Amino acid sequence: MPELIHVGRDEDRDTYYLNMGPQHPSTHGVLRLRLLLKGEEILEAEPIVGYSHRAHEKMAENRNYIQFLPNTSRIDYLSGMIYNIGYCQAVERILGLEVPERAEYIRIICCELNRISSHLLWYGTLLMDLGGFTPFLYCWDDRENILDILDEVTGSRLTYCYGRFGGVTMDVNDEFLQNTLDFCKRFRERLPEYETLVTENIIFQNRCKDVGVFDQELAQDFALTGPILRAMGHKRDVRRDEPYGIYDKFDFDIPTLNGADTFDRFLIRVEEMHQSLSIVEQAVSRIPDGPVMAPKVPRKIKPPKGEYYFAVESARGHFGMFIVSDGTEIPYRIHLRTPSFANLSSLRSVLRGTMIADTVAILGSIDIVLPEIDR
Amino acid sequence: MQSLLDIPRGARSLLKGMGVTIRHFFRKPVTVEYPRKRAPVAKAHRNAIVLIEKDDIGSHNCIACLQCEKICPSACISITGSRPDGIAFKRPDKFDVDFALCSDCGLCLDVCPTDTLGYSEVYDAAGYSRADSKFDLLEAWRDKEGEALGTLRERERKKKEEREAKRKAAEEAKAKAAAKEKAEGKEDDKTGNGTAAS
Repeated sequence: MPELIHVGRDEDRDTYYLNMGPQHPSTHGVLRLRLLLKGEEILEAEPIVGYSHRAHEKMAENRNYIQFLPNTSRIDYLSGMIYNIGYCQAVERILGLEVPERAEYIRIICCELNRISSHLLWYGTLLMDLGGFTPFLYCWDDRENILDILDEVTGSRLTYCYGRFGGVTMDVNDEFLQNTLDFCKRFRERLPEYETLVTENIIFQNRCKDVGVFDQELAQDFALTGPILRAMGHKRDVRRDEPYGIYDKFDFDIPTLNGADTFDRFLIRVEEMHQSLSIVEQAVSRIPDGPVMAPKVPRKIKPPKGEYYFAVESARGHFGMFIVSDGTEIPYRIHLRTPSFANLSSLRSVLRGTMIADTVAILGSIDIVLPEIDR
Repeated sequence: MQSLLDIPRGARSLLKGMGVTIRHFFRKPVTVEYPRKRAPVAKAHRNAIVLIEKDDIGSHNCIACLQCEKICPSACISITGSRPDGIAFKRPDKFDVDFALCSDCGLCLDVCPTDTLGYSEVYDAAGYSRADSKFDLLEAWRDKEGEALGTLRERERKKKEEREAKRKAAEEAKAKAAAKEKAEGKEDDKTGNGTAAS
């Protein structure tokens, strides 16, 4: 709890509390920020979460492993595919299920496309928070392209339930692969456009540079992960550190920068979109033929008694699943370690002493998704 | 002083940005005017489930095995079934889906043993009350149910006849084999006797 600061009536008329949210367009969901202000300066900021708590972890204890599948993509609805596939991979790792090569490639393509779409949404909304409406529409256009591609094969636009234990539900056709390549080509042409429109824009630069600088201690104190950590100069990515699926077969960089300010966090994500594009192109060019579902998947999923941990790199950072099995069909406990929650915790330290107009820029650059924080 | 120097830089970056936006004026529109025009629905698009027609029956082939009801994570399917006379399987009497609860996970389609579940192509199933999203999947098939039952009975009868014929054939073959064995046995006996005699 924050130390109570006396809000005096007579001593200091400038000090007051301001509630930002829960219904505020720049908090990306139902986040409430209680700001203690002195004029325009923030003395203390306290994020209050829990407005969209849906008890996903509790729901996992009341249903069997396969029935938890539709929940996974609803934890973080912006990169639902990564969560859905990640959960499948976790259970497969426990059961020792082999996934066919083709299914692995399809998973990589879909996950990376989803990562790009998630970053695009973040890009658009950050710019909109800072007052630039045009890039938002361009990002939406590109993102729509990805959603259409994924819709063709997964059947959903946002809350995917595409993965199954041992593979994926549907095979992709040549049209899907061609559409993916077309998108990559188109998006590579669009990215320089974004650069001219946004990155080189002086108003945007002035609002982001040296704003919301993260101290190096924060990384350890709050277990920061994802693009935020990489913008602080740490080369950490689950895809590289503990490769899951077939990420070790792909050639990609983990971009890092050292500034740790809002502008760096912006640049890191743009660079990550480039890297994801390269992974998608590699996967499409090397995808083998074959089945997309393992031949022998047990009808009843009964992991052996024990505790398991499996992590994937979501668009926001390290997403971990801690699964406790008591040997029955129903998990004893599934704990979800979500990246946004840890990243948001650092907000209090970062916002202290900044100006109120920078709040949206800093909050936007952390890239939170509220349903993932509340779960 | 710095802010004064920023003015030409800012103006340049602004003009460059405007150049990008102006180019977009001359590109093809990317939106669809929704109520007047409709975007095409993807083939795999998931929506409310429907019972799909099986050609050999002329109706759906739901056998009311309740597997979809059991696996549904949000319990949105409710089925009751009974076995009509002359058919080996059950037929559903009630197949209700509450689409408001459905999460489009597609697990019901995975477990369906007769592959008679599919997705509908409606994508604007919005309503004014919760009752609007409750669908009776059998409604579309009520008229054809009698016909389908006839087909199924006919098929069942044929199957039975086939089974009967098979059984008869098997019995006959058995009898033949027994007779043959008997005959061979006798022959063996004869030869045995013969050798013993000589």
